Amino acid sequence: MKLTGSYTVPGPRERAYALLQDPAVLAQCMPGCEGLDRIGENEYAMRMKMTLASISGRFEGKVRISDANPPESFRLMVEGSGKIGFVKGDGLLTLSPAHGGTSVRFEGDVQVGGTIANVGQRLVETTARMLIKRFFDKLAAAASVLRATESAAD
Amino acid sequence: MATTVSKPDLLVGKSIRRREDPRLLTGTAIYLDDIKMPGMHHACIVRSPHGAARIKSINTKPALDRPGVAAVFTGADIASLGAVPCAASLPGLRVPHHHLLAQDRVYYQGHPVAVVVATDRYLAADAADAVEVEYEPLPAVTDPEKAIAAGAPAVHPEWADNIAFTFHQEGGDTAQAFRDAEVIVKQRITSQRLIPVALETRGVVADWRPGEKSLTLFSSTQIPHLMRSLVAGILGMPENLLRVITPEVGGGFGSKLNVYAEEALMAFIAKRINKPVKWVESRRENFQATIHGRGHVDYFELAAKRDGTMLGLKLKLIADLGAYHQLLTPAIPTLSVLMMPGLYRFKNVTADIVGVFTNCVPTDAYRGAGRPEATHGIERMVDMLARELNMDPVELRLKNFVGNDEFPFPTATGLSYDSGNYAAPLKQALAQAGYPELRTEQAQARKEGRLMGIGIATYGEICALGPSAALPAGGWESATVKIEPSGKVTVMTGASPHGQGEETTFAQMAADALGVGIDDVLVVHGDTAVVQYGIGTFGSRGTAVGGAALFYALEELKAKVRKFGAMMLDTDSVTLSGGACVDEKTGKSISFAEVAAAAYHAKKLPPNTEPGLVSTHFWEPPNFTFPFGAHLVVTEVDRETGNIEIKRYIAVDDCGKIINPLLVAGQVHGGVAQGLGQALWEQAVYDDTGQLLTGELTDYAIPKAHFMPWIESSHTCTPSPVNPMGVKGVGEAGTIGCSPAVVNSVVDALAPLGVRHIDMPLTPEKIWKMIAQGGQA
Amino acid sequence: MIPQPFDYYAPATLREALAMIASGEHKILAGGMSLVPLMKLRLALPEHVVDLGRIPELNYIAESGGVLRIGAMSTHHDIESSAAVRAHCPLLAEAAGHIGDAQVRNMGTIGGSIAHADPSADYPAALLALETKIRIVSANSDRTIDAAEFFVDAFTTALEPGEIVLELQAPVEDQGEGYCYEKVPHPASGFAVVGVAVRVKKAGGKIAMARIGITGMGPRPFRDSMAEKMLESGTEIGQATQSIGQGEEANSDLYASGDYRRHLARVHAARALRTALTRAS
Repeated sequence: MKLTGSYTVPGPRERAYALLQDPAVLAQCMPGCEGLDRIGENEYAMRMKMTLASISGRFEGKVRISDANPPESFRLMVEGSGKIGFVKGDGLLTLSPAHGGTSVRFEGDVQVGGTIANVGQRLVETTARMLIKRFFDKLAAAASVLRATESAAD
Repeated sequence: MATTVSKPDLLVGKSIRRREDPRLLTGTAIYLDDIKMPGMHHACIVRSPHGAARIKSINTKPALDRPGVAAVFTGADIASLGAVPCAASLPGLRVPHHHLLAQDRVYYQGHPVAVVVATDRYLAADAADAVEVEYEPLPAVTDPEKAIAAGAPAVHPEWADNIAFTFHQEGGDTAQAFRDAEVIVKQRITSQRLIPVALETRGVVADWRPGEKSLTLFSSTQIPHLMRSLVAGILGMPENLLRVITPEVGGGFGSKLNVYAEEALMAFIAKRINKPVKWVESRRENFQATIHGRGHVDYFELAAKRDGTMLGLKLKLIADLGAYHQLLTPAIPTLSVLMMPGLYRFKNVTADIVGVFTNCVPTDAYRGAGRPEATHGIERMVDMLARELNMDPVELRLKNFVGNDEFPFPTATGLSYDSGNYAAPLKQALAQAGYPELRTEQAQARKEGRLMGIGIATYGEICALGPSAALPAGGWESATVKIEPSGKVTVMTGASPHGQGEETTFAQMAADALGVGIDDVLVVHGDTAVVQYGIGTFGSRGTAVGGAALFYALEELKAKVRKFGAMMLDTDSVTLSGGACVDEKTGKSISFAEVAAAAYHAKKLPPNTEPGLVSTHFWEPPNFTFPFGAHLVVTEVDRETGNIEIKRYIAVDDCGKIINPLLVAGQVHGGVAQGLGQALWEQAVYDDTGQLLTGELTDYAIPKAHFMPWIESSHTCTPSPVNPMGVKGVGEAGTIGCSPAVVNSVVDALAPLGVRHIDMPLTPEKIWKMIAQGGQA
Repeated sequence: MIPQPFDYYAPATLREALAMIASGEHKILAGGMSLVPLMKLRLALPEHVVDLGRIPELNYIAESGGVLRIGAMSTHHDIESSAAVRAHCPLLAEAAGHIGDAQVRNMGTIGGSIAHADPSADYPAALLALETKIRIVSANSDRTIDAAEFFVDAFTTALEPGEIVLELQAPVEDQGEGYCYEKVPHPASGFAVVGVAVRVKKAGGKIAMARIGITGMGPRPFRDSMAEKMLESGTEIGQATQSIGQGEEANSDLYASGDYRRHLARVHAARALRTALTRAS
């Protein structure tokens, strides 16, 4: 399943880029993420509890950042598996200056397997989009908070 | 004075209500899941969530530690047992060893990996969730054309090209036919993968009796006797210590014409834990692990003269077999080849099948089994040719039909069509529809910008499977008829009906033959310890083969009864009527019960007379039967949404003589429903990694009662010379005639936009896009 | 198809129920037509299930002061067949009649349905077109919000942990209003690929008021106020519905792409409006 979209994050490109490389920020923004533990260069073990309406499931997996080209682009790979299925997302994130901050465009491929793929077809794409949107909403919030603390410090 | 004995009305030919129905409709029938036994355990199967993966490790301990768990079995436990059987053989066929449980790799989503056995179904399900399987996912391929392209992942590492077999068949001189052609029509036509959805899913109960060393296997199957022979083979146990019983079977459509891993697994487990064990398939397992049907990509080429004379037909058939062969997997596409000439006088045909492994559940027989695909192809091609020649599709068909005087007709694919009057059902359908008026109405609709279509499909099918030479395990059928000492009649048939209604039709036949009431006849089936032997019910063979066996068993028994009756009435010959033997000369009669009692009590038998009233007949059919028919469908396509409305559905089927018109109507209706399912809604979709995306009834659309059009069903009758009753079989006719009629109709509706072909299912969005793009797909 | 073990609670009063769910750790069973299948597939794994089905005070339909009040545990069948709903909010009765099948309509409830917020559910389109308010309570709060605020995203509502839907409050439709719910059902699930609910009022041969609620097309149901305004200012139906769903995200699945859904929303909005107009006096 191909997914594309773009979101605006407050603040300059360098800062948006740095936020996106920060495991603490990623952990905070990824829906249901309960923690990222560094296991290698730009690679983290992930624990996640996904809750969506009545559906809930625990996932364990990995987050990896590659092809870093600061502050323009990088690849983000997220994979997780649990009892209800498995998810693998691989996307290119491209950052460009935009009105009101930085535009982050993603172009990715999401693969879903197991029960969620077998019985959730009606909703898989809608859900994936929603989760990505939640991620960027939180990222934007994190960027705003950061900007607010910076201005307070100024 | 001559005594006239009034002949009671014969039951054959009458619409007798199904004697099976009261128990089915009141919920008192016993299905597999109704079976309960003391100490019975429950099995839950752990299945692969991946389409292709290496199994790195399996940890069963967390499951074993859970409450109520008796055992967990994995591939290592069953490695020495036999494989899931494939009975079909073709030259050069590659047969992967199909273990009951996966060994080091899984080949399709749903592949069984482990079995958890617990005291209760819930505990078994909880424990199955606790089994830890570590997989290393591997690249998969799920599209048969991609699978045979260079560089595709190998489904089975030992066969890099993914080709299970190739098969070539040729009749006449196709090359010459194509050289002589004035017009050649070519089209790629797909018959999408379908998922058989029987109301009752599969299920097995196995009961081991250690004292007797015998095993009773209850299974929701179409083939109890074949299952007994094959499961005994897998387990390496004597066949006569295994008993297979089919309780009530809630539909099969071919999906239960099989021996699956679960039957052998449950038998193995019952013996190992020394307790009865039950497994009932969930609907998700039905979707993932029961065979699928169809799965063809067909490249057709049709050669003809400008005057419409059809000269030759070429077919390249790419068959999606899935990851393994089930019982008949590789044989199914060969049935398509046999039927590809349809009802036409082709002299020259060539077919090449490529059977392809994919990381999907195996395909196998599903209502029609190879014949819907062939009929869909040829009937679409004929319509395309008609369009090319600017001829009415009716005229083109009539011009090329095998003539009434040409039977038995030898086909270019080596068959001998038994009997036919192919124009008759077509003409009847046209008359019923008011064909010329419909075309006028269509012309008017087109002027108004409405998209109205008239679609015709004629079909022939190969039924009454079949002569033993053509089937892997014999194509005969058996029947035993007993007159019990009390005069009641018991029929035991080797055909194992599972919804077809033979408890009614066979009772009609027996009642007529013996001159008894239908309520005096009991039809027994589906128990290998009771029924002599049998092949089963599939391929529209129940009545046409099983019924013929019954016919002869009844003839033999009648002779015995007459002999006893005449002896007791002290006359030369008697007739059987009104539950009695009647001496027509004197009018004297003696009841069946008295005759039976005398035959069993055997007090006054002349020397060398065999006591009892039982006869058994195993009947070998000399040929297939070839039913045929014409379906005419009127559709209207909603120009704005692409939605298809079926305005009229006319089905004229010729299945030879009819024993019970009510049951034939039921078969036609059900068959048409499944044909509509393929034409309009159903489609099994796997993604490239082997995930079944239509894994439940939420996404896989089977026809529902309120989707159905009114079916105007009628018949012509051309008796078959193959069996003594003249029947041909009707179980699959509706499905075979339906899909091409519907697609021809919709293509006809869209013809003004230049649409020439559409692949199934005809979903509204597909049609809408075609309309929006002016006929381009 | 067997759920994981769970504890089941069946409180007899609202008070008791709200106390039980205050922690937000409980899953609420309000008919179970979505929750139970998810539990059987083991996609939902609640440890505690609180069944609201035995609380009589949540099941009522009554009209007073120009407002139709519907208790959250009213079943779809109750709503479809209620004389009060048919008289005062016939659009809602019509939408209820399109939900699932007879068994689902006998078991499923309006509170359960909207709290689940399936993007393909039928009610939301009608609730938006009817400008319904939704009363939400918890052990220590009681608030009433517009349906438009209630539906936030796919499966996401304004409900906070510990809160439940208590009641729906729909303004009684005026005499002479026309209404229509048009639905394209998914052939497998019966869910709305697109569902359009409309209300219209005529005055002097023109459309004086139009309300259009759409479900199924996007992740959340929406009202198309632009199309409503165009209709109210005399734009012809065909043209006014051409812009429906513009700027709204559209769902795609195996059966229907986002573009097709958007197209269907437009076609069926126009059809629903035409039917509604013929019903209006």
